[in-house]
Amino acid sequence: MMAANNYFGFTHGGTQYGAATAGAAYGGQTGYAVAPAATAATYGTQRAAATGYDTAYQAAAATQAAAHAHAHAAVAAASAYDASKSAYYQQAAAAYPAAAPPQPQPAYDAAAAKPAYSTPATYTQNTIVVQGGARAGGGAKPYGGVYTHSHSHTATTAAASYPAQPYTAPATQPPKQSANRGNTAYDTALYNAATMYVAQQNKTGGGGGWKNYNKGGVGAGQQRRPKPPPKAQQLHYCDVCRISCAGPQTYKEHLEGQKHKKKEAAVKLAAAGASARAGGGAALRCELCDVTCTGADAYAAHVRGIKHQKVVKLHTMLGKPIPSTEPTKLGGAKKTVAGTPKIAFVASGGLSTVASTSNKDQNSPQGDKDKEGEEKEDEADTEPEVQPVGQDYIEEIRGDDGKALSFNCKLCDCKFNDPNAKEMHMKGRRHRLQYKKKVQPDLEVKVKPSMHQRKLAEAKAQRLLVRDEIWARRRMHEGMEEEERGYWEGGMEPWWPRGPLPPHHHHHHHGMGVPYGPVGPVGRRPETSDDRHVVAKHADIYPHDHQLADIQRVVSHTEKALKSLSDALADHARPKAQTGNKPGQIDKKDDKPEGKEDGRDNQLFSFVGEGEATGAAAEGGAGGAGGAGGAAGAGARALKGVMRVGLLAKGLLLRGDRDVRLVVLCHDRPTVTLLKRVATDLPLHLAKLKTASDECKYKVELLAAEGAVQVSDGHVSVLVSLTSAVMREPAEGGDIKRDDKDVLPRQKCLDALAALRHAKWFQARAASLQSCVIIIRIMRDLCRRIPNWTPLNPYAMELLVSGVMQSAGAALSPGEALRRVMEAVSGGLLLEHGPGLRDPCEKELVDALGNLPPQKREDLTASAQQFLRQIAFRQIHKVLDMEPLPKVKHATGGWKFPRKRRRSNTDTEGDQPNGEGKIVKTEEKMDASENSVKK
Amino acid sequence: MVRGAGRGGRGMPGRGGMGRPPFNRPRVLMLRPPFDLILAEPAFPRCKPAPDDSALTQALLKRHAELCPTPAEQSAVLSLVTKLQTVLDNLVVAPGDFAACQLEEVRQVGSYKKGTMMAGKNVADIVVIMKTLPTKEAVEGLSNKVNEELNKLMRAEGVGLVSCGSHERGFTVTSTGPASAAVRVLVTTLHQNLRKLEPEVHLDYKVISSHLAAIRHSRWFEENAHHSSIKVLIRLLRDMCARHTGLEPLTPWMIDLLAHHCIMNNPARQALPINVAFRRALSLVAGGLFLPGCAGLPDPCEAAHARAHTALDLAAQDAAAATAQTLLRVVARGGHRYVLGLQAFEGGKDISTEITVWDGVVVSPLAPAYQETPEPMDTDDKDDDGVQDGVAA
Repeated sequence: MMAANNYFGFTHGGTQYGAATAGAAYGGQTGYAVAPAATAATYGTQRAAATGYDTAYQAAAATQAAAHAHAHAAVAAASAYDASKSAYYQQAAAAYPAAAPPQPQPAYDAAAAKPAYSTPATYTQNTIVVQGGARAGGGAKPYGGVYTHSHSHTATTAAASYPAQPYTAPATQPPKQSANRGNTAYDTALYNAATMYVAQQNKTGGGGGWKNYNKGGVGAGQQRRPKPPPKAQQLHYCDVCRISCAGPQTYKEHLEGQKHKKKEAAVKLAAAGASARAGGGAALRCELCDVTCTGADAYAAHVRGIKHQKVVKLHTMLGKPIPSTEPTKLGGAKKTVAGTPKIAFVASGGLSTVASTSNKDQNSPQGDKDKEGEEKEDEADTEPEVQPVGQDYIEEIRGDDGKALSFNCKLCDCKFNDPNAKEMHMKGRRHRLQYKKKVQPDLEVKVKPSMHQRKLAEAKAQRLLVRDEIWARRRMHEGMEEEERGYWEGGMEPWWPRGPLPPHHHHHHHGMGVPYGPVGPVGRRPETSDDRHVVAKHADIYPHDHQLADIQRVVSHTEKALKSLSDALADHARPKAQTGNKPGQIDKKDDKPEGKEDGRDNQLFSFVGEGEATGAAAEGGAGGAGGAGGAAGAGARALKGVMRVGLLAKGLLLRGDRDVRLVVLCHDRPTVTLLKRVATDLPLHLAKLKTASDECKYKVELLAAEGAVQVSDGHVSVLVSLTSAVMREPAEGGDIKRDDKDVLPRQKCLDALAALRHAKWFQARAASLQSCVIIIRIMRDLCRRIPNWTPLNPYAMELLVSGVMQSAGAALSPGEALRRVMEAVSGGLLLEHGPGLRDPCEKELVDALGNLPPQKREDLTASAQQFLRQIAFRQIHKVLDMEPLPKVKHATGGWKFPRKRRRSNTDTEGDQPNGEGKIVKTEEKMDASENSVKK
Repeated sequence: MVRGAGRGGRGMPGRGGMGRPPFNRPRVLMLRPPFDLILAEPAFPRCKPAPDDSALTQALLKRHAELCPTPAEQSAVLSLVTKLQTVLDNLVVAPGDFAACQLEEVRQVGSYKKGTMMAGKNVADIVVIMKTLPTKEAVEGLSNKVNEELNKLMRAEGVGLVSCGSHERGFTVTSTGPASAAVRVLVTTLHQNLRKLEPEVHLDYKVISSHLAAIRHSRWFEENAHHSSIKVLIRLLRDMCARHTGLEPLTPWMIDLLAHHCIMNNPARQALPINVAFRRALSLVAGGLFLPGCAGLPDPCEAAHARAHTALDLAAQDAAAATAQTLLRVVARGGHRYVLGLQAFEGGKDISTEITVWDGVVVSPLAPAYQETPEPMDTDDKDDDGVQDGVAA
């Protein structure tokens, strides 16, 4: 049977040959065109020869003439092949100029010679082995071995792709063959091989061994159906099932029956998968009944059993040899020898046949010896008997007298009374399976060779594979998210020095999780509850539009009045230029009414017209940084410009804030006289400005101690401080003494200057940080509300918040920003050992916190710590002193479509009863108001 | 499995749920690292002379010297570990007739391995990886076998005896020699066996996987945290945590990560001085490093997104932060001797729960913020997590 297989394998291999060559031809260059045709032709011939001798052997009476014909054909084929090959070589050499030395180059050689190579490999081997076989006389069996070899070889050839050939070819070829690599040597070898092959075939063709072989081999397809036993007996015996039938009718029925078919299939399967079963371990087999037992006990039970006895009786009756009751190990080679020759032939596994024969055959090829060796090892490996496992898990249940009454297997959850049953159980498959499952996962439990179970196992493996795949993907997905997160938070210092992660985290798999990952930039992040609370609180403390408008109006009026006052003063100082200058300035105003009517852009509103002295203008524009040289300028104005400072300039006004500040930069040291002048003249100019709509009364107060005047309309009061850049310089002693009585208090002037710088710093630095202004407003509110926070001066607070925002390295949402501020203070930033808050508006190192007393710092820190934990635990409303907002009601889809939901919410803000709509509105309002402030 | 991806991790230790399908994570809330003064230095340049911190440094070093195990202790535990390792190695290589379980590998882990053992806590840890599944019987069998072999070895050398006591993590080998030492043998199994575990038959899944994690932890530590300053800080922090109720729940692994972070994670990548690092550790925990909603310390030995502190439950997170906050202010007032344990505070009271007065400055402890609510954490994202789990399960 096995020989037959191989035989067919060989012919099959022949077919593959053709295919391989054809493939080579197609894969080749155009330069090949001639050669492949030739090769193909050669192969066709050869193939024909092969089939030819198939039939010849089937006839089993091949004449000498026929043999001659074969020889001729083969020789012709070989020579043709030779010719074609040389042509092929030449062609190939031409086609591949890159392969400069064609002959010795192994890759080229192998590649080019591929179709040729595989052929001689088998042929030569044939020669060797068959010679040995002929000597031994056992023609058929050696052939089996040989053909196996050729079969495998051709199979490799066919399977291997063209370029791979150099690797496979030397591996499968005997060393002698590889020695023949040289071109001429190769040719001769090929020729020799072919010739000898043919000759040899002819020689053996007439042998009886071949006949036998053929019968088995060729007829293998139909041969399965057991023939009636040679002895004409009354009994109808089925070899496969080992039963006898009462009559021919029953026998026929049996042969067509399900049971027989099954058994037959099993036998076939066993033959085919013999090697798979061989490794199966210590299964015992009753040859007689063809029953496999899992253990010695089971075998003993079987031998004692009625079925076995029946078969023994039958066999005795039939006069068939009865094998010894010694069990045969499954997969062992010897078992095949036991039965009648024919039965042995049928039942024997292919490999075992070879092995058993090669035991006797000393001349068998090397490959077979190897196989045999493996087989022997396998045998040595198999345990003689299944070891009972899991003794520890069987508890004895003892009766009152201490005698073991019954046993309980904890693994399988079953009981037995008999110690023998316990033993059996411990060796049993079920118990072993449980043991494998629960205790020792690598325990080998033989799987029943049933198709159903195999399928189940396959399905399970498949499932596992799929699950692994899913997990792997999932990890990829997560890894990717991590990456993405790193990306969005990029620019920050690496927060954590990544330790060596397990390698599976390093997957890059984009396109998988993208729809769920953070797609947009940070601004599109979903709003957290903290964010909503902060934004809602912010909306709550943000001043109303009309309040803002009021303030704007008053400030604007004051500024304009100051401007006009400055003009008046300038005119007064320079009466001669009055006529010349005035129209020019008016012109200018008319020219650029939209440009600068007041200090609305929070920059210095310079009173100095462009037509005036450029030196003065430069000073004014520098906002206090100018030098004292301006004093010498004849045309310098006393009041150079006005600028909004403090809350107004920073946009930090909260609801209820009524006091805003303006700082007027003077050319020289501001004096009380000047201040008085301003206080007295300002109402006039204010009144002048009051056009049609304004009916409110402005009241101007002089606050000499503050170095300021206060303009108020009853609701809003504007503090106008006078200062000058000159105040910063340490005045010479004489100067101070002389002006001492008249000059405004120095500290107040310096404060005003500092306020100017702070406003500028704020606009340049803090205002641009995301969430910063919002959080400072929130913090202002906090400082207003909570006594512990009151000592924190506003500027220090602004520095703190902006520093915290800046250090985050990435944009923060309002909620995160507030929390981060609290984190910073909680961590002891404001405590004494902390670094302090450096004032960026001073040249020297100045702590903006000043001399905050230790207890205040302590209280501040403690309060922030409490707030931090409240924020972390969802009580931000307590920090902000507001009602907790209701949860966002998810429209539909819940978590599945978060972005979609958000969008739809924004679209339909009107009908949202919860906070969401409010927030959107707030944001819009905020934008609008910010625009209006900045404009 | 993503732990605590949502804001404020549910404080679920371990990573139980395998059932969550992979691709339905709603969104990623990118958690932020907390404010860290060392990293934020550019934004907060020092504008006043740094305070003299030598007192704190001295105190830290003094305390550390006290915390180091004595040579006698070290040698006792060393000899026990060596013997046990020998016995276990033999069982790995040649199990002989020992059939209760099959051992794959034996590894030293924990503070012994890391070199962060503390005086008076002479317990080393060894993880035994079983090839077989860790049933309670297997652990029992291993314990008996080890006991027998070890005693054989001890008798041969004529040094004391050992006893083995099983517990839910494995068993503990205690030597009753002149200097007592103990080795906890922690049982785990191969990674691929994890899903075969059954709660009634085997040791707890969480325990088993935590032992596997312990192996990863010691490996990470060996590779990344071998700097002596880190070990010094770990001892100090562990001691501090052990003496203050609020900080007790912090696991050694969290402390390892925290110490490593405090010493090594700075712009210069040079080890920080111990006093700076100690203050930093306090201020980080006080600043909410271990609070929900904070990126915390990413666990380098777990899958992406895992945060070290999610092993704590919410109340513990709150308590830890509150305690650290109070201690921070105490240290700022110069009370470091009490915090470090160099000086007992009013007869052993926990200073983090008492109102103290330092030079007229009153330092008071903080109230817990976390409240057990019937509907915990009423936020949208928390809610999302809940829904998600519900759907997925």
